[in-house]
Amino acid sequence: MTQRIAVLVEHLEGQPTDVTFELLGLARRIANTDGASVQAYLFGERVGHLAESLPADSVTVVEHPALHHLAPEPTARVLAALLPADLPRLLLVPNTSLGMDVAAWVAAALEWPLVAYCQALEHRESRLVATAQLFGGKILADVTLDERPTVIAALAGAFAADAVNPGAPGQIERRDAPAELAALRTRSVVLERPEAADVDITRAEKIVAVGRGIESKDNLELAEQVAQALGAVLAASRPLVDAGWLPRSRQVGKSGLKVKPKLYFALGISGAPEHLEGMKDAELIIAVNKDPKAPIFGVADYGAVADLFEVSEALLERLEG
Amino acid sequence: MLTTPERIAFVLLALASLLLTAHGVSRIVRAIARGQGRPNWRLFFRRVIPVSLDILLQRPIFRTRPVVSLLHAGVFFAFVFYGLVNILDLLEGFTGFSTLHRSGVAALYNLIADLLSVAALAGMLGLLIRRFGLRPFRFNQRVLLLPSVRFGISRDSAIVGSFILLHVGSRWIGQAVRVAESGQPDWSQPTASLVATLFHGWSEAALTMASHVTWWLALGLILAFLPYFPYSKHIHLFMAPLNLILREARPLGQLEPPTSSDGTIGAERLEQLRWYQLLDAYACIMCNRCQDVCPAHGTGRALSPAALEINKRYYLNRNLAAFAGGATSPPLLEIATSKEAVWSCTTCAACVRICPVGNRPMLDLIDIRRALVNRGDPLDPNLQSALESLARYGNSFGKPARQRARWAKELPFSIKDARKEPVEYLWFVGDFASFDPRMQENTKTVAQLFQAAGLDFGILYEDERNAGNDVRRVGEEGLFEMLVEQNLAALKKAQFRAIVTTDPHTYNALKNEYPAYGFQVPVYHYTEVLAELLERGILRVQQPLRAAVTYHDPCYLGRYNRITAAPRRIIRALGLELREMPRHGENTYCCGAGGGQIWMDSGGQERPSEQRIREAVALGDDLRYFVVSCPKDMAMYSDAVKTTGYEGRLTVIDVARLVAVAIGIDGVEREAAPVESEAR
Amino acid sequence: MTIVVVMEQVPDVVEELAIAPSGTDLDRDAVSYVLNEYDDHALEEALLLAEASGDEVVAVGIDTTGELDQTLYTALAKGARRAIKLTGDFEGTWLSTRAAARLLVPVIQELGPRLVLTGVQAPDDLDGQLAPTLAALLGWPHASVVIGSELVDGLVQVRKELWGGITMTLELELPAVLGVQAARQAPRYVPISRVRQVMREASIETREVEAPDRLVPAVTALRVPEQAGRAEILTGSSAEIADRIIELLRARGLL
Repeated sequence: MTQRIAVLVEHLEGQPTDVTFELLGLARRIANTDGASVQAYLFGERVGHLAESLPADSVTVVEHPALHHLAPEPTARVLAALLPADLPRLLLVPNTSLGMDVAAWVAAALEWPLVAYCQALEHRESRLVATAQLFGGKILADVTLDERPTVIAALAGAFAADAVNPGAPGQIERRDAPAELAALRTRSVVLERPEAADVDITRAEKIVAVGRGIESKDNLELAEQVAQALGAVLAASRPLVDAGWLPRSRQVGKSGLKVKPKLYFALGISGAPEHLEGMKDAELIIAVNKDPKAPIFGVADYGAVADLFEVSEALLERLEG
Repeated sequence: MLTTPERIAFVLLALASLLLTAHGVSRIVRAIARGQGRPNWRLFFRRVIPVSLDILLQRPIFRTRPVVSLLHAGVFFAFVFYGLVNILDLLEGFTGFSTLHRSGVAALYNLIADLLSVAALAGMLGLLIRRFGLRPFRFNQRVLLLPSVRFGISRDSAIVGSFILLHVGSRWIGQAVRVAESGQPDWSQPTASLVATLFHGWSEAALTMASHVTWWLALGLILAFLPYFPYSKHIHLFMAPLNLILREARPLGQLEPPTSSDGTIGAERLEQLRWYQLLDAYACIMCNRCQDVCPAHGTGRALSPAALEINKRYYLNRNLAAFAGGATSPPLLEIATSKEAVWSCTTCAACVRICPVGNRPMLDLIDIRRALVNRGDPLDPNLQSALESLARYGNSFGKPARQRARWAKELPFSIKDARKEPVEYLWFVGDFASFDPRMQENTKTVAQLFQAAGLDFGILYEDERNAGNDVRRVGEEGLFEMLVEQNLAALKKAQFRAIVTTDPHTYNALKNEYPAYGFQVPVYHYTEVLAELLERGILRVQQPLRAAVTYHDPCYLGRYNRITAAPRRIIRALGLELREMPRHGENTYCCGAGGGQIWMDSGGQERPSEQRIREAVALGDDLRYFVVSCPKDMAMYSDAVKTTGYEGRLTVIDVARLVAVAIGIDGVEREAAPVESEAR
Repeated sequence: MTIVVVMEQVPDVVEELAIAPSGTDLDRDAVSYVLNEYDDHALEEALLLAEASGDEVVAVGIDTTGELDQTLYTALAKGARRAIKLTGDFEGTWLSTRAAARLLVPVIQELGPRLVLTGVQAPDDLDGQLAPTLAALLGWPHASVVIGSELVDGLVQVRKELWGGITMTLELELPAVLGVQAARQAPRYVPISRVRQVMREASIETREVEAPDRLVPAVTALRVPEQAGRAEILTGSSAEIADRIIELLRARGLL
């Protein structure tokens, strides 16, 4: 039997998320090298129609009300019920809020090895090596996988989606809800969307983003002026939103929003991995930070190790004056 | 002179008055005794003479408001003398003894009494006109004020003013009546004799009546007024000298450890304050001098040290019986001041310095902070992170201790490690000077100056921690003690003769707070060292700098520790023209960073530092430099110069940089201090 | 009724981190340890829940660093009723999540709490996060990335953060395991004097446990990421930098 590289499909309100396609692309590349096939696990309530758009060789569909929104316990239990029979070589799960709850649970329940925060997975001399991003992104850990089925929790945005082979899956298999779903202890799962925001930063062409370097709420005004002068929208990293200085609709990052503007002007943002996840695909990234070692300079196109207040004032002088 | 019924009446009234007064006074004594701690009565004998001299010379009053102080002096001297006058008048009423038309000592007495009466009347009139006409009481809107205060202050002033005018006035007129009775002027009482002419033509019966009436008014008013005393600010007559006499000779920069009562550390209620903090309320003359110098109040924040003391007093006035009897009082944050006000204090001690009666409102605020912190009241989030960072890393910047001496690596020479080899001067650098990138340049310059002077100095590298001055003043006593322990452990490992520091807050802690923990070593501020190096010629000025500058005294250096001369000696030695801002020396105006403010979000309309820049700019268009000698001043004023729009016109510069340029040190670019140094 | 909070010391990522010569662990001599910040939030959330429900909070930790005491005393000072420290032959090792969970399960089962809270993640979670792992081994329902919770009628109502402000509200039957992202309010400050008082008056229960086999995660090699070095660094004064930025923007038609 050919080996299978399995992927848990992440979706929200009827749409598969970007990371699903990234993981399917990764699975495809590995499968090609190893002569394996790509299997997608699609769980939810009334999600069967999504199967056709998944670039996988086979899709296993389980539909049940309890799986609506991919709640932690139900999703994990169903997966753990199916996997021992399916025995894939690898199970790829997104390292996102939804995926984290499932990956670690399944791996612990089945006693399978797990590599989390995975940002690279490749063959090195006929072994698979997974690389995890740890310690706030400061240290990478290479893990050589052994022959046991392994769960990989992969970071969103780390892998390329598969552009080739957009075709429909060869096989769509529907399975009945396993017995485990009858004895669940999770109830009432409801999704809440935030109130309509004043600005949708994901649609902005130009973004001026501020981080802790702005130091105090009083200084936001300066950043706002810079944004206006550049015809851009003001966004922020998580700490500022947590402190209540800006609404969550302005947050860029893993738990915020992903943006791909033409210009991302980062002021006083150090570039924690969670933040980079949200903006590293911007077309032009310019970063200003006092710290020459700030990780943001690793993804920026242009950087200045300078005082963001002075640079902002200088910009305003030139643009407004 | 008095008739027998009059004598009987007077004695009875006097008894009644004295009983009522004694009752009130005893309540006050019991109220003050509810405060924590006890006075050191032995201080009385040691201090009564020096304090009396001070008061006689009116020194504490003349620190500010010269005209008002003059008017007060008139009233004051009259009152002191009137002690004798009232006794002699009493004697006259009961025995007929009179000093009228006498010569010698009696004539001198008459003259003094006569002139002082007029001085008192003029002074009192002047003060009343000022209070009710020119400068009615002002508190900004955000200050917590008990409802009875506004009207109460005016009423009290009116009562006291009227009493003085009537008492002195009727005595004075009474003397005029006696002169008229005698038929001829008494040259030892010139003004009374003048007024006596008004009574020309009065019948003898009328004159006798008048003399009795004025006698009764003068002395009777005292009897009437005495029971009111305990509720009036007029009691400062006794409370102020007591407050000043019983004050322990403790350096201003040394706090007492927190009080502990019924499970509370610090003060949540009146009875948890110290006895002298309750005495403060009775010494307070409600002059608002403290409010006028308070940088928080001056920038529109909710704090008024005056309101704090006045509120305490008015609460006690209205609830004296209950409080003296031991009742629990409401929280201070309801009756005395607001939480916002408590957290606005910069601990600059301007209020303590200016108070003519020796009050120390700043201490109340610190004790309230101690209680809030200790009971887990939510803190300003930035303050909380600063404290957590201090506990974890020993600095408020969230940076690992390892990075403390990174600035030193950028120097062309290496600084001795005081932990490993003995040094003469242990340079305790300070948090801001070590970690703030803007300040690091100044710190490096100081190092270069020490090196150029061949000073034997070293630093503690990573083992130095924040000295804890502001931590203590924010109320986190436990963290302060922890920092002291850690610093002392590091200092024990080192061998040195003296400490030099770049930060006035550090200076204050090491000099005034650490001795209580067994640390007794000479401590110097770097300006003291630099001044001496320049004067001894060890550092030589190559090119005198010519520019007009002003110098800002840091609160913890100038006011707290009276070091105002050394920086000025440096500035003059460099050839600069020093222009003083109106508020300079011990009267300096705070930059707004102290008391933990630098760790919190500001709340005022403007910052004190912005006001200060304006004060400097007013010294002239050609003023080039605003000279500082404290890293926090450097930070605050660099920002303020930008936000007030004077960037480019006025440059904020550390005194060390000026020295470095003047002595021509390599590595300190001339651009850093472009001065016109052409020979003049 | 009890709420258990699992707390651990982790390497402080604010500091510089160096890799040990073995290549499979950090240079532990150079590491400073700090409480995992999410565990601090978990403690705060537990205290808030307990204040409303009357439960007792028990802080539990595995001492791999020798520095856990301070954290446990602080937890007691903040209001935890008991603090339990598990010690064993694993000091100085990098304990994997799976191994830690195996050590904790018997203790948790013995304490019989209604809820177990811990931080959503830790900087060294190579083999996954603790909360889902514990939930799997205990057989209890779970949720991670929790930003708010409430005990209601034998259930815990949980708000789980997804992304972009979208949240999922779930109800879990007790007992359950939560991985906390952020407590409802910032972790409270406890004055040092209170912690010191607790150190004098209260005590941490120490339990010796047997080290599990397969303690450490299966690391082949640790390495430091290369700075991608893409950024072209603009130098000069702020004015010059501003000029360059405007030039760049104009060249791409962005201004």
